[in-house]
Amino acid sequence: MQRPGGKGQPVDLLVEAFRKGEPGAFEAIVRAHQDRVYSFCARMLSDREDALDAAQEVFLSAWRNLAGFRGEAALSTWLLRIAANRCLNRIRRRKSLSEREAPWPEPPGEAGEGSIFQPAGDEADRPDRLAETCELGEILTEALSRLDPGSRWMVLLSDVEGFSYEEIATLADVPVGTVKSRLHRARMAIRRLLSPVA
Amino acid sequence: MDTMDCTQARNLLSEYQDGTLAAAAAAALAVHLRGCGECAGCADSLFAVRELLRVLPPDPAPPELLARVLAAVESEDRDPRASSAPGGADATRPFLSRFRIPLEAAAAVLLFASVYWYRQTPAPPARPPSAPAAQAPETTPSVDISTEASASAAKVSPSGIRLPRGNPKTAGEEPPAVAKPRTWTAADLPSVPAIRASTDSGRIVPIAPFFGPTADPAGSGAPAFDERQSAEAGGGADFRLSRSFVAPPSRLLRPLPYGRDIVLDVKPESREGAEERIAEAALRSGGIFERIERDSESARKGAAGTIRVILPEAAAAGFLDELRRIGNMPQEGLPSAIDIPAGPRPGTIAYAVRIRVR
Repeated sequence: MQRPGGKGQPVDLLVEAFRKGEPGAFEAIVRAHQDRVYSFCARMLSDREDALDAAQEVFLSAWRNLAGFRGEAALSTWLLRIAANRCLNRIRRRKSLSEREAPWPEPPGEAGEGSIFQPAGDEADRPDRLAETCELGEILTEALSRLDPGSRWMVLLSDVEGFSYEEIATLADVPVGTVKSRLHRARMAIRRLLSPVA
Repeated sequence: MDTMDCTQARNLLSEYQDGTLAAAAAAALAVHLRGCGECAGCADSLFAVRELLRVLPPDPAPPELLARVLAAVESEDRDPRASSAPGGADATRPFLSRFRIPLEAAAAVLLFASVYWYRQTPAPPARPPSAPAAQAPETTPSVDISTEASASAAKVSPSGIRLPRGNPKTAGEEPPAVAKPRTWTAADLPSVPAIRASTDSGRIVPIAPFFGPTADPAGSGAPAFDERQSAEAGGGADFRLSRSFVAPPSRLLRPLPYGRDIVLDVKPESREGAEERIAEAALRSGGIFERIERDSESARKGAAGTIRVILPEAAAAGFLDELRRIGNMPQEGLPSAIDIPAGPRPGTIAYAVRIRVR
């Protein structure tokens, strides 16, 4: 998988092909990035149809603006930036936001309180052990969905997609220190959700 | 020597694992972790979480995503006015795209000039000799463009009857029986919404009927005098579309389908005000709308309400995009094509948006 920050040769070739008007170039770009963009949207929005709509908007926006894409970042980074903005806009529009949000999980006073599943045992409390016995993607996605959206997208971009703190700070228009502290709190929250006795 | 407490130590764990912590703080944290099993376990599990997130595989995109994206792109490609793309398909016609707005402005000016010229054209010479009143100037009652006519306090109907300006209905005149020349007004232009409606204090203000003219089997094509007058007077309830632009009689003889049905799934919590949002989207797209009251049959079928809209053809794609922001359109409820000539006038598109609570 191509990580952000590098200029992947295949993607650059596709962008060039698109700019030259070669048929099928844009379809190839969509094929190359649709999983990543859709995953990001699905994890941000926790709703398949919403994620589909958002991902479609991302690629449509890319189609409109690819001619102005300067290639300073990888195409995937650029697409994910668009996706982050689109998803955040959608989340802001949701009237039921407060109902969907879970409060920041406090350190559990009792084992199992606030966790999304029951503790399995001593050794199995470790997140990596739990992941071996459960559906990893589902657990993590569920844990991510419990975060407030303002932190969720930072975790997704930083820990899942590999964006740097500086890139996220630029995108969020906040200082790097704020990004670091929000990320740390979000990671600790996920840790608590995944491992009630950790 | 351990100089940190557990709270301080845990707050620094992320930076410690990133390797961005200052050397002195990192050393102090390392000392604390060696002596505090609880914090060491916390650090281990935090590291494990980050590793799990790092290798979290992407979910495969549903197959319909690619199809939807390509369809949307194709739709914009066909309708360059709906696209602001500086590249892509527009790259193949950069010259025209540069002059898009001036061309539209030129088209509007040309259209206005055509109407003006048509208005100034002298009447045809053939006149029934038995109608001396028809010797009056051939200005139509609905449009008053000429300076000379503007200076006048009254205008003249085709039959020579002088009517007070601005309120022709109060003249108490009956429509003349003689056939009148076909005249066009701005309201007749297909790209200009005939009536603007708006939402007011959360309620949709009713608008004039879309299909004002009744079927005219004769198909004369000439709008009746009272219809024109009532439209000019701004009486929404009395508005009639000019017959020049409605569908041909062959279509009026059978029930109009109100365009393509669109099913819009909205979440229960978003149900409130869905009609208003759809109506606003239609207005933003330069269209008009009509709210259909929920009846028992539609309620039985799960439809929570229906909004009929008529849009300029060019605005259809944008309107569908706005609908997607309001709710979800299931595949079976999404038109595969938007260029269906289902509108009541040329250049318009009609949709019946059926709201479904899911």
